[in-house]
Amino acid sequence: MLRKIFISVLIPCTAFLLLLSACKKDPYALPVAKDVLQNDVIKRNMGPNVTGTAIEFAYAMALPRSKGKLVSAEVEATIAGGAGTYMDNNSYYTANGADVPVKVGDPSVTSGTKTTVNFTVDTPAATLRYFYIVPAAAKGQTVSFTFTAKASDGETVSYKMGPYSISKMDMIRNITVKDGGAMFVSIADSTVYTAATLGANAAKVDLIYLYRTPANKTFAHALVAPAADTQYLPGVVLPTGVNKNTKILKVFNLQDHQLAPTLQPGIYVDDPDFQQLDMSTAPNFAINLKAEAGVWVETADGKWRAYIFINSIDNANKSAVISMKRYPVQ
Amino acid sequence: MKIKFRIILAILFVGLAFASCKKDYPVDEDGLLVTTRQECYVSSFELLGTDFVTVRTKTAAIDTTALTIKVEVLFGTDLKNLYPQFTLATDCKLDPKITGKTDFSDLAHPRKWTVVSGDRKIRKEYTVLVTVQP
Repeated sequence: MLRKIFISVLIPCTAFLLLLSACKKDPYALPVAKDVLQNDVIKRNMGPNVTGTAIEFAYAMALPRSKGKLVSAEVEATIAGGAGTYMDNNSYYTANGADVPVKVGDPSVTSGTKTTVNFTVDTPAATLRYFYIVPAAAKGQTVSFTFTAKASDGETVSYKMGPYSISKMDMIRNITVKDGGAMFVSIADSTVYTAATLGANAAKVDLIYLYRTPANKTFAHALVAPAADTQYLPGVVLPTGVNKNTKILKVFNLQDHQLAPTLQPGIYVDDPDFQQLDMSTAPNFAINLKAEAGVWVETADGKWRAYIFINSIDNANKSAVISMKRYPVQ
Repeated sequence: MKIKFRIILAILFVGLAFASCKKDYPVDEDGLLVTTRQECYVSSFELLGTDFVTVRTKTAAIDTTALTIKVEVLFGTDLKNLYPQFTLATDCKLDPKITGKTDFSDLAHPRKWTVVSGDRKIRKEYTVLVTVQP
């Protein structure tokens, strides 16, 4: 009898009660703001930190209106930033997807490792953007940042970011190479010479750019080592001293976002790619190069490895625009 | 009546247990299914460069009687670093396996691969003859 009561009454009642309690809404309470100066930071850019590029942050700071106003915002880097390092003196809000600036302080002042913005408007909250230009001195090291905000009541608050690795590689973008003109590419000098400007730098030429349209063959745009077989350098007269046997490996669909900012966000060539690169069987020529293709390069002396990206090609002018990341192996 | 029912249940259970352990098809040393198929041929062939773009000038000529694959590659192809791709008859496999870049630069000694049929009893060795566009 007891068993029957248990099954027919107690279990359904318990289940019903559980159901009711499961549907109960917790009462919502408005969060109470902390009565102190607060701050937060986000990093706004992706990819390797390469010399000359910016590491970008957004630094938010706020305190209750009753406590006063913001006085200054400061960032201290462990390695002084390169020329152009600054903190934006505008705070931004978004309207219809566009950033709208609101001036809140004087232009930033950078002195050594510190960059400071002094507020000129009475505001209890702001978000300032900080652009750290990676200096050449930081190559292969790490850099950290301390963001500090100061309020009118004397209170300060800090936020640490990092450490961030700085790439050993560097890059150069949008160099125009032209058959019969600026066609002698030097990885070590990170530049392109013409026969006239080559001068004493002949021994530094690693690649020769040329454009050919032979009958019944596909040649087109090419990057060829000076020491390559002459069939890959048709009609090219090598200046004295241009004789390096550079290794070249063709690649496609490797649209580095730093070399081609309008393409493929999220793809980056970084130091480990150069470290793990196997060029042991690579040839010394790459012909029929298309726009958005690229080549891995290793100099004859093994000191440099590079990735050259073909930004665009111009058949009519027998020229191309290339960008390069290079990595010192030794 | 109850005992009979239990005996029938036990017999059914044992029968099911045996059936579940039965192997339908054998597998080979690579864990691939060995079937009854005896077809053994290459149906198409591709050759890619280091940029994973084809280096062929035209479709490869596959002779399933002479067991040759003749393929002409573009002028300036890096023959030391090529990725061959075979399409085989159903259930066939290739020996040796292709695990990465292959060196085709020794034109006097062409590379060879053996196609093994689905029943693993027929083996046919194909020779890949590469010529460079003049």
